[in-house]
Amino acid sequence: MNASTCCLLLLGLLATASVHAADSTDAALLQRGQYLATAGDCVACHTAPAGKPFAGGLTVPTPIGNIIATNITPSATAGIGHYTEQQFSDALRKGIRADGKRLYPAMPYTAYAQITDDDVHALYAYFMHDVAPVDSKPAPTRLPFPFNIRLSMAAWNLLFLDSKPFAPDPGKSADWNRGAYLVRGLAHCSTCHTPRNLLMAEQSSRELAGGAVGTWLAPNITSDANSSIGGWSEEDLVDYLKLGHARGKAQAAGPMAEAVEHSLQHLEPADLQAIATYLKTVPARHDPADIQAVDSWGAAFDGVAEQRGTPFPDDAEKWSGAQLYDAHCASCHQARGEGSFDGGLPPLFHNTATGRARADNLVLVILEGIHWTDASGVHMPAFANDLSDQQIATLANYLTRHYGNPAATVDAARVGVLRAGGAPSHLVALARLALAVIALLIVLVIVLRVRRRRRRASAGRA
Amino acid sequence: MSAELSADIVVIGAGIVGALAAQRLARQGASVLILEAGPRLERARVVAAFRNSPFKGNWMAPYPPSPWAPHPIYVPQDNGYLKQAGPYPYPAEYIRAVGGTTWHWAAQAWRLVPNDVRIKSLYGVGVDWPLSYEELDPWYQEAEELLGVAGADNTGSPRQHPFPMAPVAEPWSMRRVRERLAPAYPVVANTVARNSRGYDGRPACVGNNSCQPICPVNAQYLGINAVEAAEAAGAKVIPNAVVYRIEHDVKGHIAAVHYYAPDKSEHRVTGTTFILAANGVESPKLLLLSASDTYPNGLANRSGMVGRHLMDHPSTSLTFYADEELWLGRGPQSPSSINTLRDGAFRSQHAPYRLDFTNISQVLNVTNDLIKEGVYGAEFEKQLRWRAARQINVKNVLEVLPNPDNRITLSAEKDAMGIPKPEAHYAIDDYTRRAAEVSKADFARIAELMGGTGLRYSADGQFANNQHITGTMSMGNDPATSVVDAFGRTHDHENLFVCSTGVMPTAATMNSTLTGVALALRTAEHILPAKNSHAATAHVGHETSLA
Amino acid sequence: MVPDKLDGVSASHDHPADPSRRRLLAGLLTAYTASLIPWALAQPAPHADRGAFTALSALLVGRQALDAAQATRLYDALATASPHFPADVQALLTLINERHIDPLQLQGVLDGEHSPLAPLPRSIMSAWTLGVVGSGENARCVAYETALDAVIVADVLKPPTYAYGAYGSWTGKPS
Repeated sequence: MNASTCCLLLLGLLATASVHAADSTDAALLQRGQYLATAGDCVACHTAPAGKPFAGGLTVPTPIGNIIATNITPSATAGIGHYTEQQFSDALRKGIRADGKRLYPAMPYTAYAQITDDDVHALYAYFMHDVAPVDSKPAPTRLPFPFNIRLSMAAWNLLFLDSKPFAPDPGKSADWNRGAYLVRGLAHCSTCHTPRNLLMAEQSSRELAGGAVGTWLAPNITSDANSSIGGWSEEDLVDYLKLGHARGKAQAAGPMAEAVEHSLQHLEPADLQAIATYLKTVPARHDPADIQAVDSWGAAFDGVAEQRGTPFPDDAEKWSGAQLYDAHCASCHQARGEGSFDGGLPPLFHNTATGRARADNLVLVILEGIHWTDASGVHMPAFANDLSDQQIATLANYLTRHYGNPAATVDAARVGVLRAGGAPSHLVALARLALAVIALLIVLVIVLRVRRRRRRASAGRA
Repeated sequence: MSAELSADIVVIGAGIVGALAAQRLARQGASVLILEAGPRLERARVVAAFRNSPFKGNWMAPYPPSPWAPHPIYVPQDNGYLKQAGPYPYPAEYIRAVGGTTWHWAAQAWRLVPNDVRIKSLYGVGVDWPLSYEELDPWYQEAEELLGVAGADNTGSPRQHPFPMAPVAEPWSMRRVRERLAPAYPVVANTVARNSRGYDGRPACVGNNSCQPICPVNAQYLGINAVEAAEAAGAKVIPNAVVYRIEHDVKGHIAAVHYYAPDKSEHRVTGTTFILAANGVESPKLLLLSASDTYPNGLANRSGMVGRHLMDHPSTSLTFYADEELWLGRGPQSPSSINTLRDGAFRSQHAPYRLDFTNISQVLNVTNDLIKEGVYGAEFEKQLRWRAARQINVKNVLEVLPNPDNRITLSAEKDAMGIPKPEAHYAIDDYTRRAAEVSKADFARIAELMGGTGLRYSADGQFANNQHITGTMSMGNDPATSVVDAFGRTHDHENLFVCSTGVMPTAATMNSTLTGVALALRTAEHILPAKNSHAATAHVGHETSLA
Repeated sequence: MVPDKLDGVSASHDHPADPSRRRLLAGLLTAYTASLIPWALAQPAPHADRGAFTALSALLVGRQALDAAQATRLYDALATASPHFPADVQALLTLINERHIDPLQLQGVLDGEHSPLAPLPRSIMSAWTLGVVGSGENARCVAYETALDAVIVADVLKPPTYAYGAYGSWTGKPS
């Protein structure tokens, strides 16, 4: 052994010793904290692509502008290393930073408010001791006026924040209560799946009835049999959360695929079962447009046989739906849309991807594919670079018509909007318009007064 | 004539070898222009063309030649592009298109075995390479990481670092072959540029069983992936640019290349360094075409060796019915082989070979056989299932030795652009034929171990070709007997390099693409050393053409 | 139950569909051929040439059912490729009807007699099983996924270019 190796070893020992000296936190607590952080999927927002865990930097697009996730590593200079447990708890559950300023509700503190004191303690221990500090600060969030005034969030909180931690319902099973605690709290399902009002607050009366996350539709996950997962078994739900798909029903794509990959698949089977138990009891919210279950539409259909031997048009914009399907989709989903023997390459009928009343998510999954960051990698390739807006519209309409809900149609313009990341939000414009109207009114009042004064003056001269 | 184009590096040919050299140079900050004679293809169109083709057994069918950049076609009949001077036919197949011939390769991405580069010293046959296997190793590694190669360690090719990916999951058919041939023959997983997991944004294999002629899902690395990598690094590709002349200055430096657009308009491209990467047939053709008063035998050809030493891998084969259901066609096409005969003292007497099992679905061949035999009625379906489940094929991949009489020359016949067609002069010598004879004993033993019936050997003296074009611009230290030096620089022109399987001085027993790519990456490093690369330190002191 | 000979067999020209008298494939067959393809007897055959093609196809490919839409596509392609195709089909069906030729012996019989109909079975087989009509420069693909060589093994194999399944799904014993 040479001298430098000795030094390194010694340093290592010292470092380990100092941690132990500084804190006697037991391993079980840290482990629980880590598990809870996984359940809370903190990493999803607080880690930039290819960035260091929890060091922030991810840009979260919201209707009021881009919010940049902060560094929540225990760095004293760039992260939350200087937070006391109370300050940590306030940030997590009340949306108040250590400096007293308000967080934007892109941070799901309205859900995290449900977290128990015990769990906050475990999370605090984990973040302070098991997360590697990173001393770099991501760029600050700069929202347009008027949302750059963080104090406005205080009023918002007053209106929409229920800051009481979760209280178990003694009338329900432990399993149900655990599920409710996870769904409403750490797993913050409602952040995406509950519709929001004009002021971007979740409509608690319509819990999990379907919301939006960016351009993606976060579907209704209440217990309605047609619009939602009422027809799923608890096993289907557990499969979906564990594997990212439920055979013959649905596959997680977009932000849900991320939630499964980074958070849900790591949860203990009992917790996934608890979530399933709870979800099956969420009051049904029915969309009259869903005249049958979204995962029950369509049947095997062969559109390629009749065009065999017909040369494809040189101009790919003129390819028919069947031709686009033949060239781009059938290799995996098969000529009749029936998927592979093992179901690993899913059928396109009896699939929520094609069965929804709106085709947005179908278009998005064609554009973006499904990519996991682990070794499984590409679950479905992205076609954004291969297919034009018109081609995707033609293809999506072919898919919904033959394999899904034929009422769901889409045109090239809509594909273009989705490709571009969605329609620009009206919220900023609305807020500014409101301010402008007020300003205009003030100006009008002043003008009227001046005129009156002038009129009076001129009348006096006359 | 249109405005001249210019770049630091001008690459002729947008195949996997040229494109990967281009991407490496572009990443070092050089401006890179790639000229490709053929058109740009789209995977989806190729897939559709295959499904609509009446010639599904012919892997050239979805790649029709363009009028301005023809390539050889043999089905339904010979298009007469590659002229045959004999005595043995050399029906090479290649694709002139952006991405090149690896549009339809089997993705077998083999390294040589170390003794392959020293057969003259060790066995008294062929020639030695001007570099060692150990020198090639880091370039193989870089190539394997770019392509995404999955492989097993027990194939006879040593390595310093692990494969990027574990071997691709073994099809049931190959598992049975492996189990039943053990211990007489160790059957191992092939080394392939096919994903056994998500790799570099491309998916894992889903068993489309059409690696040739097209992987529909991008799980297999193709030349088009290399081209896209080059473009991402800043290289520019000009398709449909048929280079017909390389121009030199008074000092013998290359000054420009000239190309025709499909409308036969002429264009001139200048550059600092030129890389010829137009495969083992078209590249020597272009050097010969570029003859001038100073170089009456063509460029880079003072040795007279351009186009000579043409090599490939001839194969003979055995087809039979195993005594159990194997159902070839589940999973990828080329999963397994026997590698123990790639080297040995016998190389002084006969060629070494690899024994390769196919996992290509037998349904098409069996159906053709049944129709030919007139098996109709209820017996047709019964026979189709029985045979498709049991039919299996093993072939050898034989080394051929470099022979100056095997060569590519210019034909007197011209293509539609008025450019002379290439002409092949080819023979298969006794060294190779003896190995074919020896391997028949292996075939028989394999059939016996598989309980084989209905044994059908390929006809005596008939060899299938494997399209591994090598040798026509061989590398060597002696300018009198080789075309390029150990770094791929032509002996005669300081700023003209060759990146091609054509620089391989011997063919060995392995599919040549990975070696071609490894050598090209080494050439790229020689032209413009990478900062912080493993090779940068190894090659300090070498001048560069861009200096 | 099936008469030895019906008027349909001798018909060498097309009969328009007659809704009042529903013509069946059985009408084109003899007891011998009917015994080979009992499933087809009740198939409608309003069009004698197409009916003869279906009957002959059924005899040659030896299947218990044939897809009607596919039959239409193949017939159209074959009749377009060769103007005397309909007459040849009628002639060959008549031959088999009358001489009770076993489909398995058919090619040998035709080749042995140097019959001008000898290429016909192969062209029909090629159309149904490979989805290819014509040969050489005139070859055309008219079916792929629904060609019988794919259909017959569809429980075990997907046609090339179609994925077998998720990565590694091919490692198990085919069931």
